[in-house]
Amino acid sequence: MSGTPAPAPEQGTASAVPESAFRRTHPITPLVSGWKVIAAIVAAVSIQNIGSLVREFTLTRLLIGLGILAVVIVLSIVISALSWRFTAYAITEDGVALRSGVLTRSRRFAPRARIDSVSVERPLLARLLGLAKVRVEVAGGGESHLDIAYVRTADAERIRREILRAAASAQAGSAAVAPAGASAGPSDPGSVPPAGPPAGPAAVRGADGGPVPTEAALGAGPGDRSAAPGAASGEAGAEPWAQGAAPAAPAPGSLWDQVVLDGVSDGEQIARVPTARLVHSMVRDAEFLLGALALLLGLLVAGGLLLWDDGPGLGAAVALIPALVAVPRLVLGKIEAGWGFVARMTDRGLRMRRGLLNTRTDNVPPDRIQEITLSQPALWRSQRWTRVTATVAGIGDSESEGSLTVLPVGTPEELRRTVGHLLPPLGTEDDAAALEGLLGARARDIPGMRATRRWQWIARRTEVVVLMPGFLVRRSGILTRRLQMISRDRIQGVGISQGPIERRCGLLTLTVPVAGATLTAQGMEQPEVLAMRTVLEHDSAHLRRYRDRARWPRPALSPRQEHRPLPQGGPDGGREDAGQEQQR
Amino acid sequence: MSTPSPDPAPALAAPPGAGGRLGAEGLRPVSEALIRARYLAGLIGYALALIVIAGCVVLWAWLGWWWTVFPALLALILALQSLLLTPRRVRALGYLDREDDLVFASGIMFRSVSTVAFARVQSVEVHEGPIERSLGLATLSVSTASAEADLTIPGLPREEAERLRALLARRGVETMAAL
Repeated sequence: MSGTPAPAPEQGTASAVPESAFRRTHPITPLVSGWKVIAAIVAAVSIQNIGSLVREFTLTRLLIGLGILAVVIVLSIVISALSWRFTAYAITEDGVALRSGVLTRSRRFAPRARIDSVSVERPLLARLLGLAKVRVEVAGGGESHLDIAYVRTADAERIRREILRAAASAQAGSAAVAPAGASAGPSDPGSVPPAGPPAGPAAVRGADGGPVPTEAALGAGPGDRSAAPGAASGEAGAEPWAQGAAPAAPAPGSLWDQVVLDGVSDGEQIARVPTARLVHSMVRDAEFLLGALALLLGLLVAGGLLLWDDGPGLGAAVALIPALVAVPRLVLGKIEAGWGFVARMTDRGLRMRRGLLNTRTDNVPPDRIQEITLSQPALWRSQRWTRVTATVAGIGDSESEGSLTVLPVGTPEELRRTVGHLLPPLGTEDDAAALEGLLGARARDIPGMRATRRWQWIARRTEVVVLMPGFLVRRSGILTRRLQMISRDRIQGVGISQGPIERRCGLLTLTVPVAGATLTAQGMEQPEVLAMRTVLEHDSAHLRRYRDRARWPRPALSPRQEHRPLPQGGPDGGREDAGQEQQR
Repeated sequence: MSTPSPDPAPALAAPPGAGGRLGAEGLRPVSEALIRARYLAGLIGYALALIVIAGCVVLWAWLGWWWTVFPALLALILALQSLLLTPRRVRALGYLDREDDLVFASGIMFRSVSTVAFARVQSVEVHEGPIERSLGLATLSVSTASAEADLTIPGLPREEAERLRALLARRGVETMAAL
């Protein structure tokens, strides 16, 4: 998979799907999808005229208003119902087909081999009605997903499993995936060998993953079932689905069922964010605090202006635009990304559930992660909390802008587990400690490539690029420390550039792109950059992914006893782990 | 920082401080005919600049609009830099297909050198515009999984572009590493 850039779900291929295979979504769908239209109209009307509405209030006007509203509601429901009537989906052995459209009929087909992940999303209203949306992510850039909306929550789980099974059988066809690995079961992910051709490296990696299962058992113990209190309260129907869906699943026994069966309740728990910690972390996040303050001020000012100014004036617009557009995204986005967050490692990758208003479940296959960024706002340092975001090939909807929060605020232990499952080894003796060192130490104490001139007085204190055996890592940030990491076997190219000022000083800028993200280091010393370019060019040309890392449930970071304060950017050794020379 | 044990790439020797092409010496120049192609392609622009300058001068002379100097100067500068610097810009372009990768250098003031390994190439395209075709030139576009790493090499003689395309396609299939 992922060979050539695939166009989004293919058009027209669906003709092969028999008519009988098509199923409708749930009949209440029009109600759920129609409400947004109504809300938008009501909001527009009331904002336009709120001043005059309040002043010239009469019963007749109210009745007229309500009448218009009723008509609009009926109309939007009729339109939604029409579009529902023409929407149908089919899940076959070949993939997922979706047809929709009243006037312009469209048929889309996601071939099973290109299905990246399947997530279940549950927006607020849908959740109240016990419905959910199934999103099928397909390899390829841009809007490459199919939405099956809406179906009953239990059905959503079943659909997700069906699709995943189809996808899994596709991969089984392409490579002789060892079902033996799968049969070891989700209970003991640590010991599942990556399986497949490259037995050598698998053995190596199996060895250093050894001690982890015990760790996992420790972490997965108590908090398993109960989500964060807040999340649980909002989801009367949510808990049952996690459990109730299991019996509804196709009878266990066949190997594929075991590979595919990855509800939120099984698999090793990687991380869970209690509401208290989330709230605490928000309070300590200056960016969030400023955003929330701006949101509140904007709303107050805008509300005041609207009432006082009679209708939408320029002032109200100026106050409203940032308040309504940018800030809620930032503020609510952070809450949404962290609320009731639970991550589990399953056979199909990292499975995360979260959300306050819109519960969503994401699957992140570790082999699709291109880049990972750890960040730590200044006030989180004393708590040793970290946020982890990942750039994932193929999962890039507009909301997340291509990067996905895989750990909103995690303890060092959760960080270690998350990163250990998502990334191949960094190649140091103790990767977890190395990461903590890189994030915790002052940048100037970290050995690596950095700006050195006197006049680069900020950069030389805050930025450093470290070449580790498996990764290229860039530490940056003044208050919020960031650690951007790209795997050396995913480097797409190497660029160096030099402007006139840099030339005068003998400096260079290094850019290292991977799919969906770029690591840039500006103003570095020329000889160092040239040396690093040579190494990276070689990596880009020769390092290979494990093809079968798609089924990759083995923690790569192994916890060890000794804690070294700093990574030494270890020479050699780990190189064989990081990527394989010509393993095909 | 460490250099991993395997041989550190068959790189062109990069003595520290090697100027010119940022440590990538020995690149092949693109065809000099590209200078002519760029001048031809720029003709419309030059004509527009000339019209603007003439118009401004006339307005200044007739109506005393002295401030028309500014748009005239702007047009003059744009046209002059294109006229004077195009040859140097074209000569600054260089490419080289090495054992495992393709290197492309460009720029006089803002220099850059990019490398794309054959293993990462997702698609190769040879493009010939009308002017290029009349001069026997072609443009080679190489795309990877990352838009940042994509290369566009203009001004290749047609056979050379074909050779590179075939080479990239062949080596890409041989060493495909995808993402």
